[in-house]
Amino acid sequence: MEKIITVGLGEYAVSQDPEEILVAYGLGSCVGIGMYDQRINLAGLLHALLPIHPMGSADQQSRYVDTGIKLLLEEMGKKGADRSRLIVRIAGGANMLVAPGFTGSFNIGTRNIEAAYSTLYSLKMPIAGKEVGGTTGRTVKFYVKDGRMTIRSIGNQEREV
Amino acid sequence: MTNSSQQFDEELHSLLVVMAKEGILNAAKGMSDMVGEQLTVSQPLVKRIPIREIPNLLGGPEAEAVGIYLRVEGQIGGQMMLVVPYPKALELVDLMMSVPIGTTQTLGSIERSALQELGNLTGSFFLNAVAATTGLNSRPSPPAVLVDMIGAIIDIILATSDTLSETVLMLQAKFMRDGREADADFWIIPDRNTIENMVNRE
Repeated sequence: MEKIITVGLGEYAVSQDPEEILVAYGLGSCVGIGMYDQRINLAGLLHALLPIHPMGSADQQSRYVDTGIKLLLEEMGKKGADRSRLIVRIAGGANMLVAPGFTGSFNIGTRNIEAAYSTLYSLKMPIAGKEVGGTTGRTVKFYVKDGRMTIRSIGNQEREV
Repeated sequence: MTNSSQQFDEELHSLLVVMAKEGILNAAKGMSDMVGEQLTVSQPLVKRIPIREIPNLLGGPEAEAVGIYLRVEGQIGGQMMLVVPYPKALELVDLMMSVPIGTTQTLGSIERSALQELGNLTGSFFLNAVAATTGLNSRPSPPAVLVDMIGAIIDIILATSDTLSETVLMLQAKFMRDGREADADFWIIPDRNTIENMVNRE
């Protein structure tokens, strides 16, 4: 029996249960970052809202791309993941507002993607797959069983990244 | 929570309830004019909603909806959003265009523009009433229409709110037609500075 584990806004989840599917619903400008260690079938998914954690802030770290990635890594490390084995995929980061007058100040999606790229680069973690940007929301499913990541957006078939 | 912040919350709450009533009743009037049918409005609610629960409003994060979004600038700063389930948005377009319900099947540029106008009018009527009640002036940005999953639409509000808090202050009302609920949700999310200004001027 498949079990859906919802990864809410600003949260992350780590699982080794092959029946579980980690799901981040309706990502708009948010990004979903999935990491998978194939050897131990360990999957982790982060649902981050904003790019960079403000210095000195006590705000929840998993809400931000940069600190969220590090938290997820740490948590997966505790469960035996080896960073060099991790397969990383990214989805989301759409720019939802493309109306005149909004584009300049609302490119949170792009900034989230850039934060993900630079954080992963500094951690020397290559990105194996991605579906980012655009102007539409996405639901991301991450299958613990085999590390598959699929994406669905309105009006489109579910597809794999 | 400290006593002072509790008091702050209570004062703010009563102020917002007054503002909400006047503003939203007027907004409903604006919207009624636009769709050519009498719309009523539910008792507006002023509440703090935990950020993580917002996507679960209105049928869950994957439900397809239309969001008409406006920024508010001026003495009052904040965000306004009319959120309508997709099929209801099609009905609203039918009403505005005076065609039988069920005629509009998709949202093309004309239909979107009609919805923008609806957001514009609703937002302006709201702000006019707020200005009349509080003496605070502000203006809405041009409206943006988003058609997507609820979760994705709501990201905009969250990404531009004060995310240092765990909750978002939200003023919420439901517009109703023929006594039927859930035609449209109207949300107002004041910026933190605005909230402080409003309380301090008392």
